[in-house]
Amino acid sequence: MPSLSYQEKSLYGELLADLAVFVPYFIFIHTPQQLTVSFIAGAIVVLILARVLLQAVIAMVTRNRLQDERDRLIRLRGYRAGYLTILGEMLFGTAALWLHTMLGQLNPAHMALHFFSVFVAILMLAEVVKTVTQIIAYRRPL
Amino acid sequence: MPRIRNTIRELRAAREMTQQQLADRIDLTRQTVIAIEGDKYSPSLETAFRIAQVFGVPLEQVFQYEGKGKR
Repeated sequence: MPSLSYQEKSLYGELLADLAVFVPYFIFIHTPQQLTVSFIAGAIVVLILARVLLQAVIAMVTRNRLQDERDRLIRLRGYRAGYLTILGEMLFGTAALWLHTMLGQLNPAHMALHFFSVFVAILMLAEVVKTVTQIIAYRRPL
Repeated sequence: MPRIRNTIRELRAAREMTQQQLADRIDLTRQTVIAIEGDKYSPSLETAFRIAQVFGVPLEQVFQYEGKGKR
């Protein structure tokens, strides 16, 4: 088992919190009665709380919290991957919404809510891609 | 394959210095020192100079460029 730096532990904590919230979110969001603003907002609040809690625990058990040039480079790579994911998904998500609207599968009254849920899903996926990219970068030659 | 090789492990061993001790002296994490020693990360020029300074040797004794000179 390789030794993990504070930054790596922090990333694993982030991923754990993300998956703990995103997996149930994506399972339940497909049921029509769950597509509400309070459900989506609730998922975001739970995610923030889970992240803060895990980061606090990791910070408490890690003595050396130094961040160096390699950590900064890896962080930049992660954000780049996340940004590209957002770009790709925005195109795909907008096209999917447009297609569903054209086919009459979306109720115009709920359009804003659908847009909101798609936007949140895009951010969630981009966040996971960013974190996974960083975790992989720590184990690969740069 | 990495084009920059280094002799940090040998220099460290000659001075009985641990990875953590080296990391502390140049403000890096031990994981980054491990990555540099394993040729998995090429440090910035500033860090390279600081490593050479810690060992008290010229930069080219610590890092060797093995490229073919292509641009």
